[in-house]
Amino acid sequence: MPATDYQGTSSAPFANIGRSIMSLRRDQVHVHSMEGSHDGAGHEVELEAFQKQVADMFQSLLAAAASASANDELLSLSWIRKLLDSFLSCQEEFRVLLYNKSQLLRPPMDRLIADFNERSVKALDVCNAIRDGIEQIRQWEKLLEIVLCALDNKNQRALGEGQFRRAKKALVDLAIGMLDDKDSGQTLANRNRSFGRNKDHHHRSVGHFRSLSWSVSRSWSAARQLQSIGSNLAAPRTNDIVASNGFAVPVYTMGSVLLFVMWTLVAAIPCQDRGLQVHFNIPRHFAWAAPLNTLHERILEESKKRERKNACGLLKEIYQMEKCSRLLSELADSVQFPLTEEKEVEVRQRVKELAQVCETIKEGLDPLERQVREVFHRIVRGRTEGLDSLGRGHNPE
Amino acid sequence: MEPPERNRTSENASMRFEDAEKIILRWNSTASEDAREKMIFETDRQEADLYLQAVDEIQRSLSNASLSDDQSKATTIQIAMARLEDEFRNILIMHTAAVETESLTGSTHSRRSSTSSNFELEEELILNTEKLRELQHCESSDSSSYRSTSSIREMDLIPPEAISDLQAIAMRMISAGYLQECIQVYGSVRKSAVDSSFRKLGIEKLSIGDIQRLEWDALEGKIRRWIRAAKVCVRILFASEKKLCEQIFEVAETNIDDACFMETVKGPAIQLFNFAEAISISRRSPEKLFKILDLHDAWVDLLPDIEAVFDSKSSDSIRVQAAEILSRLAEAARGTVSEFENAILRESSGPVPVGTIHPLTRYVMNYISLISDYKQTLIELIMSKPSTGSRYSGDPSTPDMDLAELEGKTPLALHLIWIIVILEFNLEGKSKRYKDTSLAHLFIMNNVHYIVQKVKGSPELRGMIGDDYLRKLTGKVRQAATSYQRATWVKVLYCLRDEGLHVSGGFYSGVSKSALRERFKSFNAMFEEVHRTEAVWIVPDAQLREELRISISEKLIPAYRSFLGRFRGHIESGKHPENYIKYSVEDLETAVLDFFEGYPVSQNLRRRSQ
Repeated sequence: MPATDYQGTSSAPFANIGRSIMSLRRDQVHVHSMEGSHDGAGHEVELEAFQKQVADMFQSLLAAAASASANDELLSLSWIRKLLDSFLSCQEEFRVLLYNKSQLLRPPMDRLIADFNERSVKALDVCNAIRDGIEQIRQWEKLLEIVLCALDNKNQRALGEGQFRRAKKALVDLAIGMLDDKDSGQTLANRNRSFGRNKDHHHRSVGHFRSLSWSVSRSWSAARQLQSIGSNLAAPRTNDIVASNGFAVPVYTMGSVLLFVMWTLVAAIPCQDRGLQVHFNIPRHFAWAAPLNTLHERILEESKKRERKNACGLLKEIYQMEKCSRLLSELADSVQFPLTEEKEVEVRQRVKELAQVCETIKEGLDPLERQVREVFHRIVRGRTEGLDSLGRGHNPE
Repeated sequence: MEPPERNRTSENASMRFEDAEKIILRWNSTASEDAREKMIFETDRQEADLYLQAVDEIQRSLSNASLSDDQSKATTIQIAMARLEDEFRNILIMHTAAVETESLTGSTHSRRSSTSSNFELEEELILNTEKLRELQHCESSDSSSYRSTSSIREMDLIPPEAISDLQAIAMRMISAGYLQECIQVYGSVRKSAVDSSFRKLGIEKLSIGDIQRLEWDALEGKIRRWIRAAKVCVRILFASEKKLCEQIFEVAETNIDDACFMETVKGPAIQLFNFAEAISISRRSPEKLFKILDLHDAWVDLLPDIEAVFDSKSSDSIRVQAAEILSRLAEAARGTVSEFENAILRESSGPVPVGTIHPLTRYVMNYISLISDYKQTLIELIMSKPSTGSRYSGDPSTPDMDLAELEGKTPLALHLIWIIVILEFNLEGKSKRYKDTSLAHLFIMNNVHYIVQKVKGSPELRGMIGDDYLRKLTGKVRQAATSYQRATWVKVLYCLRDEGLHVSGGFYSGVSKSALRERFKSFNAMFEEVHRTEAVWIVPDAQLREELRISISEKLIPAYRSFLGRFRGHIESGKHPENYIKYSVEDLETAVLDFFEGYPVSQNLRRRSQ
């Protein structure tokens, strides 16, 4: 199934934990036949297993983020890919859990599933926006390639003013490109012939590049979309739980997980009108509540840090791009020609760091994009199946 | 490195280095007002050629030079490249007008026949008697104004002189190692041109949420426009951009033109595709079927061209998405047919007041007639048989279809038959809600007859449904007619029976006068009742109406005539015969003509025949 496409560079066993728990349970219990009058029998095991899987997933993510290895730092490309990988297994288990359960056709499940489907559809637009954001990051990385090309010392020639100018040009474009949407408004205004000529920097029209690359209308807002996904997401009431033989709980769980994952993506990746004001009011008795809340807090903390406040995305690699390019820019401004030995060493160091960031980004973006697309597909599939089974019942969609 | 071929001005094989350097520095835009304001390639052919020559000279000397004087040369090259980048951008911008849409849409004829009708329906199916609506059936206006783009047609987006300038610049930039800058500039300018064209073609940036919230009427219009626009985009716009890249970067390695093409077109392509994807994901609802099929067919048509235009490795994701969209549209079509079937089963409005054709019947029959118009597409899309029995096994009274009898039929045909089966089932349910069983039978007769007429009226539909099933349906019509007659007329004719009237004794004096009088009174009362009630009922089909009346007459008139003939004497010999023999045979014949016309009749029948 999904494993081979986007397995991260580390932690292969991680992704399979959830799956193996479920299959263990399944072997023991054999409850996947058409339900007739045996409602409730044998489901507690499945339901518990699902809750445990979700809790384990968040614990793992938390642990990975806390680990010493720089690879899996919170909000790094690799960590995000882990997040999506676990989300996909979660979705799959959820689907299996609900497969062929006759509860789905009766209240309250019919309404709860319909709500969940609505939430999922809203997540689709987020997936598309994230895809745009990934493309945005690619563009920045391409600018950095220019910098690397300019300052790379492969042919052992001393770096001169020309190379630095070239690098500087690209760095300025990058800085403009990475401005938050609101700030880049002025640059959008100058879409005329003299645009290329009237600035000292000769920067390319990267500014309006940004808004052109959003494939949604100007009024679309990631923040609003997240709010929408989270609206009326509340733990099920006792009578709903009883009436649905407990199945109301995984629906709530999956809804919360969906919200968290979408929220994290919006936090990490640039998109139109990013806003992180989403609250998770998860009752404490859920095992996954604590790790989810911890992750939520830590990501929020990150967003409030001074150096990240105006970031257009909290992805670690974006920060690294910013930092490296800023340092290089300063360096480029401060150098005198010919370069001293000291300066040369410094430049080489910075370039090496930059090359590393670029490498990480180049390796990680395509798989990330594929994962996001896979999430999109799974959501659509789940919804289609949901619609089909509802249609057989007596409720209009 | 060779000097460029198009160097007409200088007879000298090469320029001196110092002169070259001077030229480059002169055009350094930080150096002078002049350099900032003017563009070399706009100014003067000679200037441009000289500049290029200068660049070539610096490049050449750079590759031959020793390390020591490298620095300044590298700087000079950078200045030159920065300048060339601006020039490149400028040339592109000058020739970037969004392509006129009129010139984009060709006049090649539409594929769909101009008689194909687009069935526009009201929103949901009827849910209760208060909301019965008229269903509209209207011709689409798009077939006449439909100008489709039926094959790839590349346009020249930029005039040839500009192209050779761009080529010349690109070549220098690439060989100086400034490839990325070149791609960046190219991509950003051309992309804005494509976006501009998109706006002119009316392609909107709609999110999935936006599309879900749109009313079907509005959405339908957008789909139509999108189909037209998509053809133009793929076959003309994208193809032309690809050609342009190939032209400008012709001298470079093959991947560069591809990189530029994707830089320009990837975003817009995905934006275009997103719309089709959103439609394929939207809620299933019956009225959407035909537009979805149109979209599906258009996409099938377009796919080979998408594959042709996006044929490189870097455009894998585009081709993949295009294929995904196709299968989603197919899925959407299937799901919509299912939803249609479910909707029929769920539809729970009551029967119509006077036993006429129920709007559900009309809707369903018109819908499946239209389905048979789309037979070519649907026959490939609908791959599984309808699930008939097992799904509803818990339910005692479910529609049923014996698949064994229907061997050799395509899944599509089976679905159409199934649809008729569940329609009938629904109608049966409705008929049971009439208080009057006669009316119930009449209702069934009318509606099943309508079904039969509609099937007969469409050769495609008839071919798929098959004459066997048609015969079954016709049989049902006859049966219903018979049941109706029994339900209404048995009791009326019962009044005219012989038994019970004779008392023991001789021929003449053997008739009980009182019994006879009762009989006449009953008959009159019953007939009046039936007449009053059933005149208001409707049998819409003229022929059926006539046949039914004739059938009634055939039983009623001879019976009455014979009764009158035998027993009128007895009544007329007593008091007030007019109280008992109210009607002549002619009166009754005339009265029968009132039946099923839908108009209420006056109480007094008799007056008319006088």
